[in-house]
Amino acid sequence: MPLFFPQEDASDVRRRYKPDVIKGDMDSIRREVLEFYASLGTEIVDKSHDQDTTDLHKCVTYIRDSASGLDKSNQLCVLVVGALGGRFDQEMGNLNVICRFSSMRIVLLSNDSLIHLLPRTYCHEIHIQTSVEGPHCGLIPIGTPSKSSTTTGLQWDLNNTAMEFGGLVSTSNIVKEEKVTVQSDCDLLWTISIKKL
Amino acid sequence: MIAMDLMHHSSCFLLPTIPLQRRPSLTYALLVLNQNLPRFTPLLWNHAQLHLCADGGANRLYDEMPLFFPQEDASDVRRRYKPDVIKGDMDSIRREVLEFYASLGTEIVDKSHDQDTTDLHKCVTYIRDSASGLDKSNLCVLVVGALGGRFDQEMGNLNVICRFSSMRIVLLSNDSLIHLLPRTYCHEIHIQTSVEGPHCGLIPIGTPSKSSTTTGLQWDLNNTAMEFGGLVSTSNIVKEEKVTVQSDCDLLWTISIKKL
Repeated sequence: MPLFFPQEDASDVRRRYKPDVIKGDMDSIRREVLEFYASLGTEIVDKSHDQDTTDLHKCVTYIRDSASGLDKSNQLCVLVVGALGGRFDQEMGNLNVICRFSSMRIVLLSNDSLIHLLPRTYCHEIHIQTSVEGPHCGLIPIGTPSKSSTTTGLQWDLNNTAMEFGGLVSTSNIVKEEKVTVQSDCDLLWTISIKKL
Repeated sequence: MIAMDLMHHSSCFLLPTIPLQRRPSLTYALLVLNQNLPRFTPLLWNHAQLHLCADGGANRLYDEMPLFFPQEDASDVRRRYKPDVIKGDMDSIRREVLEFYASLGTEIVDKSHDQDTTDLHKCVTYIRDSASGLDKSNLCVLVVGALGGRFDQEMGNLNVICRFSSMRIVLLSNDSLIHLLPRTYCHEIHIQTSVEGPHCGLIPIGTPSKSSTTTGLQWDLNNTAMEFGGLVSTSNIVKEEKVTVQSDCDLLWTISIKKL
C-alpha cells in the first residue's frame, strides 16, 4: 500500500489502510505484520484447524455468516483482489468458490480483468462502465456445457448458442453497447478487461 | 473395470538434460505467447526442435531473453534464440522485431485474415498440419505465456488444449504447469520432484465428472464426483513419485513448479 503513495510516510499509509479483520490459517502472514495490525485494533480470526477450504472460501463464509456491523440487507458485493494469477490450482479453487457461493455477488479483480458469476436463474443486464472497462470480454461455461445462451450488446452475440469447453467458448469478444444482456441455461462466468489508464 | 490404454506423463522438459527412457522419447515444440517469459524458458528452448512465436511473443523473446544472460551481448543472445517461425495476426509484433528475425531467416507466417481463432489455436494448428522437418509421431507442444494476463484469453487458451485433446500440449508459467488428461486413457504421471510439486490439482473443466480415481495424492479420489460448484481437487499434494488418474471425463492436471 505505501508504494501507491510514495510521497507519504509508509507508517501513515499503513495506519490509514488498516484491515478490519485478518482471517485464515496464519501460515503466511509475517509476525511483525500481524503484530502491527493487531496493535491497531484489527480483529484476528485464526481458523488454522480448518484445512479443507481455501482462504477465499473461509473469508466469504465469514463475511456471509459473521461480519457484524456490515449492512447485508442491501445487496452485498464482495470485491476480491489477489485471487487470480499465481498457482493455477489455487486460481481454479478460487473460481470454484464463486461457483459454490452462487447466491452471493463476488467479483474477482486483477490488473487486467474482472470476473463474476451470472447465475442461470436470472436474466442479466450488465451496464458497461466504458471509462474503466472493456472492450475485451468473455462468457465462460466453466463447469457445465451450456445448451443455450443468448446475448445482446456484444460484437459476436450468442443466439440460443451452445457453449462448452472443447467446443465454443466466448472469449476475445468485444462489448459494442453500453448495456449487455445475457441469458443462459447454466451458470456462466462473465469477464471483462480493465483499462490501463 | 474397463481396460484402457496407459498414457504416461513426465515433466522431463524441466530437467537440465532429458534422461533416456524405455518409452519412445518425445519431440518438443516450444511456442512463445505474449506474456513475460518464465525463468526456465532457455531450458525449454534447448530441449525443443521447433521454436515458434505467436505474434507479440516475438517481442517478449527479443526483449526478455537477453535478461536471462546479463553477462552477454544482447544481440548475441537474440541470434542464439532465434525462432524458426513467427505466426499470427501480426498486430502486436513491433516492426523492428519482425525485421530483425526475418533478416535472420525466421519464417514469417501471416494469417491476419483469420479472426475467429486465438493465436494459440493458429499455432497449434500450424504445428499439427505444417511444420515440415518436425518428427510428429511423438510430439509435445510446450507453451509459455498462455496464462496470466487477460482472463478471457487464459480461458480461450485452456479451451485450445481441450479442443486439441489428442495432442500433448503443456501450458507453463513460473508457478504452474497444466495439461489435459483425456478420459480415454488411464494416466501415469511421473513426478519430477526436483523441479515440480508438491501442490497439484485435478480440474473438471467444462463438464462434471461422475467418477474420478487417483493414487499417489494426499487426498486421493476414489470414484469421486467432481464439478465446479461442488468438489474440485485443488491445493492437493503429491505424496508419491507416481500419480495415477482415471476419470470419466477430460481433466486438467496442474502441478506447481519449484522456485529454485
